Amino acid sequence: MSRKTIWYMLSLLTIGAMLLSACAAPATPAPTTQAPAAEAPTEAPKVESPTEAPAAAAPTEAPMAEVALRWRTRPDNTEEANVYSEISKELDAQLEGITLAYEAGGSETSSYQDVLKTEIGAGTAPDVFWIPGTDVADFATRGLILNLADLAGKTEGFNVDDFYPGPMGHLTFNPETSQSGADSGALWGLPRDVSTFALYLNLDLIAEAGAPDPREQAANGEWTWEAFLETAQAVRALGTDIYGYGASAWWGPYGVWLNAAGGGFFNADRTACALNTPESLAGLEFERSLYVDHDVAVPYGEDPEAPFRAGKVAMFQNGRWATPGVRTVTFNWDVVELPKGPSGHMGNWLFWGAYVVNANTQHPEEAWKLVQALTTAETQAKVAALGANIPSRVSQAALDAFLTFTPPDNNQAFLNGLNDNPATEGPLWAGSWPDYDKIMGPAVNAVLTGETDVATFGATICDEANKVFGQ
Amino acid sequence: MRSSYRLLTWLQNAAVYLVLSLFAGLMLFPFIYMLTTSFKTPADTFRYPPRLLPRDQVFTRVPGYEGELPLYYGVVNGERRPMALVQNSIRVGVFAEPSRLEQTLTVPLDQVQATGATLTVNGEALEVFRVPVEGGTTVEMVKLSQTALGRFVDPQDPTITILQNTRTSTPVERLALHPENYAQVIALRGMDRALTNTTLVTLLVMFGQLATSVLGGYAFARLRFPGRDTLFTVYLGTIMIPFVVLITPLYQIMVAIGWVDHLASLIIPWIFTAYGTFLMRQFFITFPKEIEEAALIDGASRLEILRRIILPASTPAMATLATFTFLYAWNSFFWPLVIINTGNEANHVLTLALNVLRGRAVDSPNLLLAGAAIAILPPMVIFILGQRFFVESATSSGVKG
Amino acid sequence: MKNLSIDTQLRLLFLWQAALCLAALFGGLWVFFSAPWGALARYGVGLPLLLAGAAAGLSAWDIRQRRHRGRVLAIAVNYLGLLAAGVGALHVLGIFLGIDALAGTFGRGILWLLLALGALFIGGLGERLEYRPQLARRLQQGGRWMAALFGVIFLLRIGTLPALLWLLPRLLQPLPLGLLLAAALFGAALWLASRRPVANALHAGVLSDEAISGFLFLSPNLLGFLLFFAGPLIFSLYISFTDWDAFGTKNFVGLENYQKIIGLDLVALEAPDQAANTVIDVNRFSELARFNLLGRSYLLAATDKLFWISLRNTVQFVLMAVPLSVILALFLANLLNSNLPGMRVFRAMYFLPSVAAVVGIALIWQLLYNASIGYINYGITSAVNALNALFGTSLQDPAIRWLSSVDTALLSLVIMVVWQTVGFNTVLFLAGLTNIPTMLYEAATVDGAGKWAQFWNVTIPMLAPTTFFVVTTTTIQAMQLFDQVFILMNPPEGPNNATLTIVLYLYRSGFQNFRLGYGSAIAWILFALIFGVTLLQFQRQRSSQMEY
Repeated sequence: MSRKTIWYMLSLLTIGAMLLSACAAPATPAPTTQAPAAEAPTEAPKVESPTEAPAAAAPTEAPMAEVALRWRTRPDNTEEANVYSEISKELDAQLEGITLAYEAGGSETSSYQDVLKTEIGAGTAPDVFWIPGTDVADFATRGLILNLADLAGKTEGFNVDDFYPGPMGHLTFNPETSQSGADSGALWGLPRDVSTFALYLNLDLIAEAGAPDPREQAANGEWTWEAFLETAQAVRALGTDIYGYGASAWWGPYGVWLNAAGGGFFNADRTACALNTPESLAGLEFERSLYVDHDVAVPYGEDPEAPFRAGKVAMFQNGRWATPGVRTVTFNWDVVELPKGPSGHMGNWLFWGAYVVNANTQHPEEAWKLVQALTTAETQAKVAALGANIPSRVSQAALDAFLTFTPPDNNQAFLNGLNDNPATEGPLWAGSWPDYDKIMGPAVNAVLTGETDVATFGATICDEANKVFGQ
Repeated sequence: MRSSYRLLTWLQNAAVYLVLSLFAGLMLFPFIYMLTTSFKTPADTFRYPPRLLPRDQVFTRVPGYEGELPLYYGVVNGERRPMALVQNSIRVGVFAEPSRLEQTLTVPLDQVQATGATLTVNGEALEVFRVPVEGGTTVEMVKLSQTALGRFVDPQDPTITILQNTRTSTPVERLALHPENYAQVIALRGMDRALTNTTLVTLLVMFGQLATSVLGGYAFARLRFPGRDTLFTVYLGTIMIPFVVLITPLYQIMVAIGWVDHLASLIIPWIFTAYGTFLMRQFFITFPKEIEEAALIDGASRLEILRRIILPASTPAMATLATFTFLYAWNSFFWPLVIINTGNEANHVLTLALNVLRGRAVDSPNLLLAGAAIAILPPMVIFILGQRFFVESATSSGVKG
Repeated sequence: MKNLSIDTQLRLLFLWQAALCLAALFGGLWVFFSAPWGALARYGVGLPLLLAGAAAGLSAWDIRQRRHRGRVLAIAVNYLGLLAAGVGALHVLGIFLGIDALAGTFGRGILWLLLALGALFIGGLGERLEYRPQLARRLQQGGRWMAALFGVIFLLRIGTLPALLWLLPRLLQPLPLGLLLAAALFGAALWLASRRPVANALHAGVLSDEAISGFLFLSPNLLGFLLFFAGPLIFSLYISFTDWDAFGTKNFVGLENYQKIIGLDLVALEAPDQAANTVIDVNRFSELARFNLLGRSYLLAATDKLFWISLRNTVQFVLMAVPLSVILALFLANLLNSNLPGMRVFRAMYFLPSVAAVVGIALIWQLLYNASIGYINYGITSAVNALNALFGTSLQDPAIRWLSSVDTALLSLVIMVVWQTVGFNTVLFLAGLTNIPTMLYEAATVDGAGKWAQFWNVTIPMLAPTTFFVVTTTTIQAMQLFDQVFILMNPPEGPNNATLTIVLYLYRSGFQNFRLGYGSAIAWILFALIFGVTLLQFQRQRSSQMEY
């Protein structure tokens, strides 16, 4: 009995004491004299963030009158997260009257977006944040992000044409007039960077299969779908667990085959489904044959990155963002541009994401300054120096910096992709892109795993997909 | 008769042990895999066939060659011995004389000379090359196929060299642990702070929930008050509501109170759950009423009865609830993901740190699993230490419908 | 105060209640009409204040009339006031937010906390040494002292002293001080109202005393529950009738969401392969399935195809995972329920997966399931090769694409979830088994029943309550499957929506597509389903109890 009493007393005491002691640290940064060095950094961020300080502490900071801005982007790895917080610190010093707080968003696509949306709903989202290009329409039409056109008009030296025209076309789209361009009256943000697909090559496997070097074929203009298929088949013949080609299961990789055949997801003004045009179906049919008839590809839906890094895939289609991970492999590797399809183009994408300004921000002008600062050639060069991103500014200096960053030796392959009439990743102003994606994805999956044929796909897909327009 | 009975029992027991061990293996294998993989190098995790124990490839120096060279097993004169790889991906051709196609010769392409002529063999146009053969002469042969091989030398006797397919060669390896993975993952994701946060959150939720549940469960089980049964039904009903639907409203309440991004949001709401109250009520209801009534007549207050009579007898139920709460709080994932800012690493709990790690270290399963081990092992150790207590208390409570 | 006459006491109480009434009403009105707060705070604070004012007024009137209801209301109002003021004071002092800072210093004290717990444990061992009372007492005392010592060190390590020093001056600031003062006044009134003389003067019955203590006991849990769970729940029910997108205005749309979710259309086809767009309005409906009944072909279409797919997946998952987990657990529990040595070790091993975090587990299984380099396929390949080598068969390596094939994606989830839950269910069954009196088995043996007959006629019926508990909880969990899918599958809905569960779908609707109203409606439909299934199980349980 007495032991029990003591036990209760002790637990009560513990809880009480912990609760009491809880409030100590915000005001006493160094409570103990012999505080070990290691704990200083853990407590530092607490003191920094003004919004979190207890009410009583706030007035002391008033004289400074600095505008505090929070910004967030999605880093793909730790190095990138570090570079972004480095950039944040530098810009903090550069921009007068603005205090910056960088928040690394979750790197999983789903958690980054879902958390952001919850925060926007509750009014706790950062002032400036990054969103993928496909989401711009969704955010803009709901009034969640600020139209920066007026601010940009007043800004001296700002020119829409400094950036790749593809992303800027979407970012200046005015849903009321359906116009885009410098004087459309709309500017939703500025692109952080761009990227495009290339094929990561396992040169050892290709050599072992006795196939010609795709880089040479590309240089000679022989790198076509047929050449690609021949190489893939030669490698596939090396063993049951060796594959010629691998790509992840999302809209980017399969879209490439549709584009290269002259088709695409939407009609020209992006107001209706174009998945059932003969060109689109021809592209899908070729890709289906890679997976089903010729069986040269890592089965659709299986992660191709693990087997590629294990040395079992010859050609791995992915964006520039995969480069840091591939650098650790032990075999000889390089990149090559995508093969040219029947349309004479490789049908590549121009991927992009943009910094946008929260519609609820208290400081739109400062936020706009920050967006500009985050997309200067200087800042972009820093991120590009990590080798995972291509600058979104059309600037030869930035591109040269990008080209020097090897391996891979053949960095030009990415730029070739950008220059060969790529399709720009883009929002769907006339409908809901997420819904469109969720209808298209499973249907394509069914084709590429051999469950349905292309004819059935073509007969039904647009009935379904067109539902997302004009909802 | 007797011995056969004994044999039968023995066989039966052996079968029981066999089946139990089989299942034990299945249950434990993922954890063993997690542990061993967390000590591997990244390259070792992406390999086929997979191997459980972490290994490093053995490197060696060979006189006349630069740097450390990887060792593979190679076959020389029918004998299997370690060979050092000195050059990889040497393009070689498989050649044969047109008259004797079955007798092939594998020669590097830089040692042959193309004649420019082609010869049609079995309906296939093949290029003709001048191929050096033993004795210093060259013979015109057709190229049947082309591949790439590695050149290996014997570290003991560098004059012995062979050409062999590197991909299919077996590397020479030794066991090697890489505990630095853990240091790396702790530094990378602040796992130590996350561990402290999780421990604190779990402890507070556990004690808090125990306190409110005991009081609430007692009220539901023993005290008559208007609306009791209706309330209890409502409580029961909410157990069936998927939590996801509460996220948005609860988030907005947290915004109103100002707890967003603070550990308090992970603790305070979870102190008041329907499940704990339900569990304690189910236990208290089985408790004999007579003792309580006698104490009431003696003038004891309800609180005294609860403290002096009921609580000492309900350690099992409380331990069960504590276990449930512990696991729930330790493992909860979704609410922290939404409520704690991804940038605010000081307030990350383990599951959250692990989720961020999942995105950032997707190319190094060894680090991912080291992180998983940090999240999974502490509750396991606690459970193993107190397993008698936990399991037996679960045994004597909770399952009475 | 004790010495005051009962009339004075009642008058005091009356005055206090009347003052409270006025203060709360004015406060409430102010909050409603001129406080610069958001809607949530306005309703959340203003409404309770108005209610409390009304209750206080009523209670003042009743006390004057010497009605007992007045005392009950006074106790309620003052108790809630005490809580609100107390918690408010803690909040204003920054205690709750300070937990973050505590987490920073807590790590330094964990070792000492563990030592304190260890000392308590050692002291507890003393109780077992009954045969040596001297040593036992010493052990107990020693343990207690050590625990207290370690506890104090722990408190010092985590920084209690500086915290207290920091806290004391803040207590004297006007807002916390006022709140604490208010709390003290509420406490005094509460004390006055709950005392026996007042109770007697207002003719309190035994029953009402019990009711009051019932509510008091329940209150800590109930209040938090109302605030954090019931409130959001009612809110979600409300928005399920709106088209709210989490930002804009909420337009009431009645049952439209529900109609859209469950809307079905069945049409007869002239030919089995007739194109869908000739028979249904493809702008509203999507083809769900075609089937043949009594020689005629039919086409089933739905307004929300994905909901029905998610429902199908969830039902399939429940039908596979629940029986598998329960039967396997029952089987293992029966094996474990013997006196052979080592059973505890096995029991512990089986339990381990249920202790581990889902996030971690899913990471492990993702690697195990990898089709090209994962261990599971490696095991299958090795087994096939071994069989072929041993028996000269020519079995094909199935090369299963666990997570990316439509056929196996859900199965992969089932395997992982069963693996994770079976140990826990085993322990529950084991508990049930040990509670079955051995008498029953002995009687059955006397009747000549074999092991198998004993299992069916004694074990199964006697285990019915446990089975009910296990099946019900496992089913509820399985129907709410979410975390596991969300982490294991990439994308979470799996290949061709094969692992789209209802909760995942509602998450997607609500969070990713900005359709919170719609998502909430799905949640309530799921609730109805779970409720129905549980009710069904309750009824079967009841009827089966009748039989035995």
